[in-house]
Amino acid sequence: MSKTVLEVKDLRTSFFTRRGEVKAVDGVSFYVREGETFGIVGESGCGKSVTGLSILRLLPEPAGKIVGGKIILEGTDLLQLSKAQMRGFRGRKISMILQDPMTSLNPVYTVGDQIAESVRLHQKLPAADMVRDEVISALRLLKIPAPERRLHDYPFQLSGGMRQRVVGAIAMSCHPRLLIADEPTTALDATIQAQYIALFKDVQKTTNVAIIFITHDFGVIAQMCHRVGVMYAGKFVEKAATRELFDAPRHPYTIALINSVPRLDRKDERLFSIEGQPPSMMDLPPGCRFAPRCSSAQDICVQQEPPEVKVGEEHFVSCWRAS
Amino acid sequence: MPEPNTNVGAMTVRKAGGLSRGVRVLRNLGIIIPLVVITLLVLTAIFAPLLAPHNPTENNMLARRLPPAFMTGGSADHLLGTDKLGRDNLSRLIYGGRVSLSVSLLAIAITASIGTFLGITAGYLGGRIDGFIMRVTDMALSFPALLLAMLLQIGIGPGFFTVVVALSILGWAGYARLIRGEALKLRNSDFVAQARIIGASPLRIMFRHIFPNVINSLLVIMTLQVGMMILMESALSYLGIGIPAPTPSWGSMVADGRGDLDSAWWISLFPGIAIGLVVLSGNFVGDWLRDKLDPRLRQL
Repeated sequence: MSKTVLEVKDLRTSFFTRRGEVKAVDGVSFYVREGETFGIVGESGCGKSVTGLSILRLLPEPAGKIVGGKIILEGTDLLQLSKAQMRGFRGRKISMILQDPMTSLNPVYTVGDQIAESVRLHQKLPAADMVRDEVISALRLLKIPAPERRLHDYPFQLSGGMRQRVVGAIAMSCHPRLLIADEPTTALDATIQAQYIALFKDVQKTTNVAIIFITHDFGVIAQMCHRVGVMYAGKFVEKAATRELFDAPRHPYTIALINSVPRLDRKDERLFSIEGQPPSMMDLPPGCRFAPRCSSAQDICVQQEPPEVKVGEEHFVSCWRAS
Repeated sequence: MPEPNTNVGAMTVRKAGGLSRGVRVLRNLGIIIPLVVITLLVLTAIFAPLLAPHNPTENNMLARRLPPAFMTGGSADHLLGTDKLGRDNLSRLIYGGRVSLSVSLLAIAITASIGTFLGITAGYLGGRIDGFIMRVTDMALSFPALLLAMLLQIGIGPGFFTVVVALSILGWAGYARLIRGEALKLRNSDFVAQARIIGASPLRIMFRHIFPNVINSLLVIMTLQVGMMILMESALSYLGIGIPAPTPSWGSMVADGRGDLDSAWWISLFPGIAIGLVVLSGNFVGDWLRDKLDPRLRQL
C-alpha cells in the first residue's frame, strides 16, 4: 500500500462572526495516500471548501480560524508552521485548483508569466531558460497543445477548458505532493468536464500526486475518486471506498443523496429529494445533525451524537443504526 | 480571395494594414494632435533659454501692454505682445510652461506614488491598518488646501518646492481612496487567491498582482490631475502664494492680466489657452494609453 501523504486529524475550523461562532468544520479526520484521490462530497455550506482552505491555511481573515486538530503532510504538522514556512509549502508541496477558470488567472500577465511565477518562487533555478523549460513541461503535463506558443497568450485568448488546464499547470508546476481541487469541473460544460477528469487521472498517474477532490457531483466522484467522504453540516457522516459507497451505502444521508441522483436506467416520475434544510451552523441540534431530516431517526438520534464506527475495510459511518 | 481571418477574439475586425494610409492617419488624428502638443510643450519647456526671444523678467517701461504682432500697433519683436511691465509675453509663456509643467508633474508623481502605495496597503491588508489610513485620508480630503498652502508659505517660505509640497501634501488622498476601493475589490478575486495558493507573500500580491490591475484607473486620475494640478498651481500663483514673482508661471500670468482684460486681453488669454491645451491633451493621451494598456484591446 502506498504511503500516506496527508493526514487530517479532528480538524475544527470556525468562523467568528458578530452573531457568534460558526463551526464550519467540526472534527473532520481523513487521509490521502500517494497517487490516490479522496473525494469530499456534500451540499453547499457543509464545510467541504472550508476543509480544503484549512489545509492550505488560507481561510478568510480575520473571521476564519482553525481551532483544533492536526494537519500532517508527510510528517510535518502544517498548523505548527510559521506564516513564512507555510508560504514555502503552498505551491511547492500543496497546491489547489479553484472552481472558476475564467477568474482565477490574472488578466494582465501571460500564461507563461503566471506559471513561471510559481516556478521562480519555489525553485531556485539559475537561468531563465531553465524556468522556461519548467513552464513548458508543466503545460505539456496538462496536454496543452503547442505550449511554446501558448506561453505568450493572455488568459482572455483562451477558452474556459484551456484556462482550467493552465490553472492545473500552475498548480502542478512545482511537482506538489498534494493537490486540492475545489470543484474544478463545475464551471466547465459536460464534454470538457469529462476530458478534464480523464486528463487529471493521467496527470496523477504520471506524477503520483495525492488529490483531494471537492465536489457535489456524484458522477464526478464515481469517475475520479478512489475513496469518498460524505460531509454533512461540518462532519463526515460516511467514508468509504468509492465502489463500496455506491454499492452499499450505510448512512441514511448517503443513501438519500445517491437516490436523488437522476439515473438513465430508471424511469422515475419524479426525482427523489431530501425533505427539509440542513441545520443552521449557528444552532446545531444536540444529537445527530441529520436526525431532523432522517426518515429512520430514533430517540437516541436526537439526544446523542453518533460515534464513528468501522463497518468494513476503510468504511466508516457515524450513525446509530450502523452501530 | 480575402485573406482568412486568424485573429483570435477579434472575429470581425480586420487588421489596420488593410486600410489606406490616409484613413489610418485620419483615424489616429485624435491621438496624434495631443501627442504633438504635449511633445512640443515639453520640448519648449526644456529648451526655453534657446527659444525665448527675450529675458522673461526684463521690464521695459517704454513698451508696456504692446499688442501681439498680428494686431495694429504690434511689433514683430514681441510676437504675443507685452504685459503691464513691458515684459515679453511669449518669453514669459515659454518660461512659465517650464514652471507650471515641472511643478504639476512633480506633484503628480509624488501624490500618485504615495496615494497608490497607501491605497493598495489599506485595501489589501484591511482591518485596523485600513481604518487608520482611511481616517487620515478623510482628514486630508476635508482639509482646506489653500489654507494649508498659505501656512506652508509662512512656515517654509515661498518657492518652487513650497508649491510642490503644498500641492502634494493633500493631493495623495484622492488616489488613496480610489485605489483602496479597487484593491478591496481585487483582494477577493480568484486570481489573488490563486497567487496565495502558489505561496506569494502579501507584499508580492500587493505589488505584482494588484498594482498592475489598478494602473488603468491610476492613469485616468493622473491625466485628470495634470489639469487639476496646473489649475491649482495657477490658483496659488493667482492668490500670490505660488511661485514668487518675477518668475513667470501660467497661473500668475493669468492673474497679472486680470486688471487689463478689457484692454490688453492677450496678457491673460495666451497662458489661459496654454493651460486649456495641456489639460485637454493630457486627457486625450490618458484615454489612449488606457486603451493601449488593456490587453483585451491590444489586438484591435
